[in-house]
Amino acid sequence: MSRTITIDPITRLEGHGKIDIFLNDEGNVDRAYFQVPELRGFEKFAEGRPCEDMPQITSRICGVCPMAHHMASAKALDDLYKVEAPPAGKKIREMIYDIFTIEDHALHFYFLGGPDFVVGPDAPKAERNILGVIGKVGLEVGKQVIAARKELRGLINLMCGKVIHPVFGLPGGVSKSLKKADLDKFTGAADRAIEFGKFSLQVFDDLVLKNSQYVEWITSDAYTHQTYYMGLVDENNKVNFYDGKVRVVKPDGSEHSTFDPKNYLDHISEHVEPWSYIKFCYLKDIGWKGFEDGADSGIYSVAPLARLNAADGMATPLAQEAYEKFYATLGGKPVHHTLANHWARLIELLYCAERFKELANDPDITDPNVRTLPTEKPTEGVGVVEAPRGTLFHHYKTDERGVITHANLIVATQNNAARIALSVDKAAKGLIKKGEVNDGLLNMVEMAFRAYDPCHGCATHALPGQMPLMVRLYDADKNVVNELVRNGA
Amino acid sequence: MKTLVLGLGNDLIADDGVGIEAARRLREIFAETPDVDVHECSMSGIALLEELIDYDRVVLIDAVKTDKTPVGEITSLRLEDLGAVLAPSPHYAGLPELLALANELELDFPKEFVIYAIEVEDPFTIGGGMTQGVLSALPKLVEKVKTKVDEWICEPALA
Repeated sequence: MSRTITIDPITRLEGHGKIDIFLNDEGNVDRAYFQVPELRGFEKFAEGRPCEDMPQITSRICGVCPMAHHMASAKALDDLYKVEAPPAGKKIREMIYDIFTIEDHALHFYFLGGPDFVVGPDAPKAERNILGVIGKVGLEVGKQVIAARKELRGLINLMCGKVIHPVFGLPGGVSKSLKKADLDKFTGAADRAIEFGKFSLQVFDDLVLKNSQYVEWITSDAYTHQTYYMGLVDENNKVNFYDGKVRVVKPDGSEHSTFDPKNYLDHISEHVEPWSYIKFCYLKDIGWKGFEDGADSGIYSVAPLARLNAADGMATPLAQEAYEKFYATLGGKPVHHTLANHWARLIELLYCAERFKELANDPDITDPNVRTLPTEKPTEGVGVVEAPRGTLFHHYKTDERGVITHANLIVATQNNAARIALSVDKAAKGLIKKGEVNDGLLNMVEMAFRAYDPCHGCATHALPGQMPLMVRLYDADKNVVNELVRNGA
Repeated sequence: MKTLVLGLGNDLIADDGVGIEAARRLREIFAETPDVDVHECSMSGIALLEELIDYDRVVLIDAVKTDKTPVGEITSLRLEDLGAVLAPSPHYAGLPELLALANELELDFPKEFVIYAIEVEDPFTIGGGMTQGVLSALPKLVEKVKTKVDEWICEPALA
């Protein structure tokens, strides 16, 4: 009798967004599907609105990473008005963006990925949460994480009015210069952020790399795909979050293409499947060959691992050192192990902290000239940043008054969608055998997508903040034969 | 004693904006009141923790869709009512989880929580304004929160 297993983690969103696992008569996995709800019509909703509203509107797409949308949107406005921010405007933007990435990466490692690795995927489910992580790393570390995040978010508040919906990026620059009197807060925080980054890599070393079972999981075939990788790089092909060219490398690590973000439509296409609302991105010149990995399939990946693979290194010394250790440990470039994203994320955290320090100490940073006023008529603009979860494109067209006539957003989770679908399918096939399904196995299937940190942040808030997981088993006639509700933990 | 009124929701998603709108109205009411802050917040999970640190008492306002009570009905909840639910993803960490974390880390966290949850009709449609039933109940919601905060402010005087 074939069965269907459904893991439904986001029931808040009208029941969409879940994992369906179909078992065959032998109880092995026939096919697993991961469905993602994203955006929900934001592009249509943007039409008819003044383009200057876009950084405010799009930052409300997501309650988790509003800054990424805000920044991609501000950059799209620069391009729309053909205006370039003055050096201080650019540097403040990049510095704030690095600060945001540090706090977001810290959130993921300690609170989201942490339950999988720091506590362990086969730990009792009651421990696989934030408190379990704190129990493992110690109270002091927990306090340090909260304190670091609070300090960094305070700095974002200072420059942007508010963390959540920043009032900051404008076409041609930013709304506020950095006052000399406030500079100490930034330089001091940057030093502490570097220490925090080093310390976090040490935690990873001690708790994950020294555990041979975890290393075995990271490098196991169930969590490995040979795909293309994409990320923003600077003029030396080093990782950059705020600006640069989009670089794509092949599964063998050699360069496939490097392109100006404005030309993204020449390089990326979207594929639609009847079972998901998400559009699956693929490389146009390679083509959509179904859910297959390898050099002949256009599936590519974004996010920390992909960024490291797509670049030739990190632009700061400590991060470069960590980058070299990463590849030396995992067998050279590129690394194809999905779970290595967690390690790559911490290397990026350290890079952002070092870059934050460079920018905070840059003489230009307190220059009061932070904006170039636009004078051109707007027509069309593209903005791109590396969101914590991967490359994020904003593309707007307007009429001559600057009213949006067309908007296209490609978010990180869309870039990753095909590889995430591959990952969930492969993990399910590798882990679930002969109908044996238990909580630990299901968690390990979930780990395959959690490594990418897919973001469903556009969810509405709803009290009481409950997020049950539902697992349903169906027989061949689609009758429910078993139902397991996991209340969160 | 520092009091926070925190409106939760997303003002671009129909009735989900009700907490935000209530907070905006309450901000005017409490503009001159010392030790009462009114914030709005569209973030979830751990970000809420940082909002709440350093306050003694908190009123939370949010939309809820239970389909069990009429639209516009306002329910007052205490933390105990929420149950000790731990979310599978800290993107969605709820209040009980944050409270447990704050206790564990000995953070300066509010001792008293009251939650006003208003039953809504449509918390899903992007770009839509609030539905009529929710809009009509908004003044009552604002009044309830105001009464609660006034009560708290007067408490030390009574004691």
